[in-house]
Amino acid sequence: MSAEFVLEMKNITKQYGENTVLSDVSLSVRPGEIHALLGENGAGKSTLMNVLFGMPVIHTTGGFQGQVLLDGQEVHVSSPHDAMTKGIGMVHQEFMLLPGFTVTENIKLNREITHRNFFSRLMGKNLETLNMNKMSSDARKALDSVGMSIDEYTRVEGMPVGYMQFVEIAREIDKTGVKLLVFDEPTAVLTESEATQLIKVMKAIAESGIAIIFITHRLDEVAAAADSITILRDGKLAATRNAKETTIVELAELMIGRKGEAMVHTDPREVPHDEVALRVRDLHVDMAGEEVNGVSFDVYKGEILGIGGLAGQGKLGIPNGIMSLYESSGDVELFGEKLKLNNAGDALRAGIAMVSEDRKGVGLLLDQSIEDNIVFNAMQIKGEYLYKFGPMTLKNSKAIRAQAEKMIKELDIRCFGPTQHSGTLSGGNQQKVCIARALVMGPRFLFVSEPTRGIDIGAKKLVLETLVKLNREQGMTIVMVSSELQELRSISDRIAIVSEGKLVDILSPDASDADFGLAMSGIKPSEHHEKGDGAQ
Amino acid sequence: MTKSVLRRVIAIVLCVAAVVLIVLGAVNMPKRESEDGLQILKTLRTRTLLNATGEGVVESYVAVAKKEAQAAAKAAGGGMSAIREAIAKAEEETRAKYSSNATDYSAIDTTNLEAAMDEYMVALKASADCEAAAKQAYIDAHYDEAYEAAKADREAKIAAGQDVPEEMKVTVDMSGFVATEEMTSLEAKAKEAYGLVGEALKGIYPVMDDNALNTLEGTIADIVYQAGDNYTLQYDRYIKAGSGDALENKTGGFLVRYADDLFYVAGALIVAALTLLFYEVLVAKLGIPRVIIGLFFILLCFMSLLYDLSLSTLLSNSVVRMGMNSIMVLAMVPGIQCGISLNLGLPIGLVAGLIGGLLTIELEIGGWLGFVFAILVGCLIAAVCGWLYAQLLNRLKGEEMSVTTYVGFSIVSLMCIAWLVLPFNSLKLRWPLGTGLRNTIGLDNSNFRHILDDLWSFKIGDFVVPTGLLLFMLLCCFVVWLFSRSKTGVAMQAVGNNPRFAEATGINVNKMRIIGTVLSTVLGAVGILVYSQSYGFMQLYTAPRQMGFIAASAILIGGASTSRCKISHVLIGTFLFQGVLTLGMPVANVLVPGSTISETLRILISNGIILYALTKSGGGSRG
Repeated sequence: MSAEFVLEMKNITKQYGENTVLSDVSLSVRPGEIHALLGENGAGKSTLMNVLFGMPVIHTTGGFQGQVLLDGQEVHVSSPHDAMTKGIGMVHQEFMLLPGFTVTENIKLNREITHRNFFSRLMGKNLETLNMNKMSSDARKALDSVGMSIDEYTRVEGMPVGYMQFVEIAREIDKTGVKLLVFDEPTAVLTESEATQLIKVMKAIAESGIAIIFITHRLDEVAAAADSITILRDGKLAATRNAKETTIVELAELMIGRKGEAMVHTDPREVPHDEVALRVRDLHVDMAGEEVNGVSFDVYKGEILGIGGLAGQGKLGIPNGIMSLYESSGDVELFGEKLKLNNAGDALRAGIAMVSEDRKGVGLLLDQSIEDNIVFNAMQIKGEYLYKFGPMTLKNSKAIRAQAEKMIKELDIRCFGPTQHSGTLSGGNQQKVCIARALVMGPRFLFVSEPTRGIDIGAKKLVLETLVKLNREQGMTIVMVSSELQELRSISDRIAIVSEGKLVDILSPDASDADFGLAMSGIKPSEHHEKGDGAQ
Repeated sequence: MTKSVLRRVIAIVLCVAAVVLIVLGAVNMPKRESEDGLQILKTLRTRTLLNATGEGVVESYVAVAKKEAQAAAKAAGGGMSAIREAIAKAEEETRAKYSSNATDYSAIDTTNLEAAMDEYMVALKASADCEAAAKQAYIDAHYDEAYEAAKADREAKIAAGQDVPEEMKVTVDMSGFVATEEMTSLEAKAKEAYGLVGEALKGIYPVMDDNALNTLEGTIADIVYQAGDNYTLQYDRYIKAGSGDALENKTGGFLVRYADDLFYVAGALIVAALTLLFYEVLVAKLGIPRVIIGLFFILLCFMSLLYDLSLSTLLSNSVVRMGMNSIMVLAMVPGIQCGISLNLGLPIGLVAGLIGGLLTIELEIGGWLGFVFAILVGCLIAAVCGWLYAQLLNRLKGEEMSVTTYVGFSIVSLMCIAWLVLPFNSLKLRWPLGTGLRNTIGLDNSNFRHILDDLWSFKIGDFVVPTGLLLFMLLCCFVVWLFSRSKTGVAMQAVGNNPRFAEATGINVNKMRIIGTVLSTVLGAVGILVYSQSYGFMQLYTAPRQMGFIAASAILIGGASTSRCKISHVLIGTFLFQGVLTLGMPVANVLVPGSTISETLRILISNGIILYALTKSGGGSRG
């Protein structure tokens, strides 16, 4: 126990096939410190933790390069269970509790204290009697140490979400020999006061000598809790900082960084703010994992508005809510006309089109041909590409074929022909089919949600260029939602940043990395600067 | 060696083998007509005749010897036992002397005999043909009478609750048949010719007397000529009689006999070779299950040829069965398209159709009017029930497979009670005693029996083309195809394909599922009526229970998955499924005579395919 670091991960490199997701990352955690692990989505935080816990996904994809040292000894963690026996615990983002069991039973699950009885002597260990008194006193101790006054015989079912988080932590603490605890976004589901309480508990745990790795995107919490900080960016180590020697602004900058060159260059311009294309007031969307809690903004006619933010913060909820793919409420006006929510047909009929982020789930009929996909909405919503045959309204194959061929040429969809099934296309070409379907509708307003997710660079460029062309040549108002800040900056006129279901700020694409970083962690840059300036 | 190379090599080997067989066949086939081939047959015939008569001759010798021995013993003045002993000894000795292989057939001059036999054969053939024609004329004249009698008998049996076979057998009573004059004169001529054969035989076996000849007449006639004789039949008959060793010096008899089978085997080899060569393309285009079942079907075709079953009749039956089942299979299409997957609740539609059919009989609406009335009423009931059924399915999304199966079974059980209590009065429908409807209700010409089958039907050889039935099938397919291209149809398919996509486009998912389910149920009602008119009976109670499964497996054989299907899948699937069943049963019966293997085969095939399909229903929709 005399080693300087309880955990050292040295030069970790991990590849999934051709894709390098971690490259030469090192992480060192001292005993009893809170070590924050920062990074955007896809920066490699979870992969690093998967390596630490020896998740099967790592072993089945060829393992990793580099060393993991616990207390100065090199170890090979073969499975999450192995990690547990070696003294590494995890507090999950989604609770792993059995709702019908009591707090004690959950805390002691699979580590029950038992004594032998007649049957167990006969039939084996599985029939031993539970020593409830001993178990509950243990649980009590663990609960006390996380500052929970809740009765240890309460059932988990029906407890407030915040309490479950603490029960989960208590379970990890109760394990004997825990040296290192990993908290994966523990505050994401907590209220502010609960989050404060949690940080207090974390500090108490750290004082007792257990090291903590604290994964989060909330910079203010990092500043409040962490002793040292490791920042990952694009699978690389961006920096390691001592909490006392850094500022939130620097952390934000390090987290965002400049990622290469912009793929598409647009000339900066002034979009007149005289006509509002889309007015959104107090929009709430009930989309699991992407809730929107009261967002208001205006989109001006002829502009490209980017919406950014980290995953799970609600940026995807905005287009999906307005297009009525999920239950939503609030006031939405399109070009001055009120838009009825919760009716997908109405939004389409009003002239909004959307290219969904969930291409395979919502975006495409995978078993049907490209041409049928392209004209589907126009046929169903606007009644185009149809002709009358007696009492029946049939699809007009000739017109459909002509339109499909035109679109295939315009958007450069690589395929064998318009009758190829869309499910057999590559991701980029599927995305182009989705865009084609939106365009065939002749929309006044276009939502593009994560248009470049999972497609190759060439296709990315073409998709972005197409969006710019539509905007410049046809004056189409576009709202683009994307996790790739660089993309948003390269083509948007303004960028709205969403955090925890709320709009934090609308920034100019030229704003500094630090501003974007702050906004993504939920801090309005202008206010922070004011505070910071005032303090100095 | 890679697999594809290996396949190519095997294919080439098979092709070479096929060519060899074809050449052999082509060389030997014409021999049946040539002097050589006929000579082989004649040799065999003569030998068979000599063998058969030879036994008669032995008996004659034995009789003579016994008589002499008895006389000699008596003359010697021995007792009863001595006489018996002497007789037995004489018999044994004589038998040993004459039945041994000592008879040297080659030494016998058979020229006369052969000439006589040829003449006798011609005469027999003329006589038999004449008799057959006369009998057929008699049957034709008395068929209706016999049909009525058989039907009455059948209905009496059904009324008495006995089991009756599916097909009704009509046998005309021949007791009133009187031989015509022509027949008698031809018979006399045949007798005359037999006289010549007898003379020839006497020339060979001096002991042969008229008595023996009389006894042997039937045997000899059977050897020389049997109804429907041809080369292969005669050859088989003679070989079976054990005359094969006569061919010692005449090579090629076997090849001549099996010349046609050589062609069939060569054909099968070529099919196998082609399959191997284009294996990858076939599997990619059709999928392994279709390739396997397709090959099995072709194998059955060749086997029925090899076993000299009438392939054209069997294929004709297959086509009829395809027609009668196709609409029920078609009913699966809207179900799959709208996303309820296989509509195993099809019995709802079937029951609705049956009620329509029963009403026409109850109200005594005959012919076309009755058929149309049955369809209309059936569709109406099916639409209402289908709508209710769809409501259930919409409330239990994601559990379609179990809901449809459950509904299918329960509706059949429910109707088992209903058939007993529904207030039908027609005596054609009710049990003569007690209440309730009969198990099987026979349709006749006053209803819609064979109304589509017989419409514009014509014959090509043994192949009956049920034009009306096929046209109706194509019409229904066309309508469903048109619907699948309509705006509603396209929306419905989107719902089945990806409900979230459809919802995102503002399509009412539940409504589309209702439309699909109703359509499927209605097609089920039409389907059972088409099936009944072709089958000739309406089956109530538990009969509709399996039909949903049969229809489902047929469309799956055709290449559909539980989420994707086309009209072509219906046609291909129904033909293959029904074809395999129709051909499989007679072939299986030949292979394993007197067994129930064909029924086992039917159950194996239909249930096996459903099982296979269910394992596939989770994913891999693109074959």
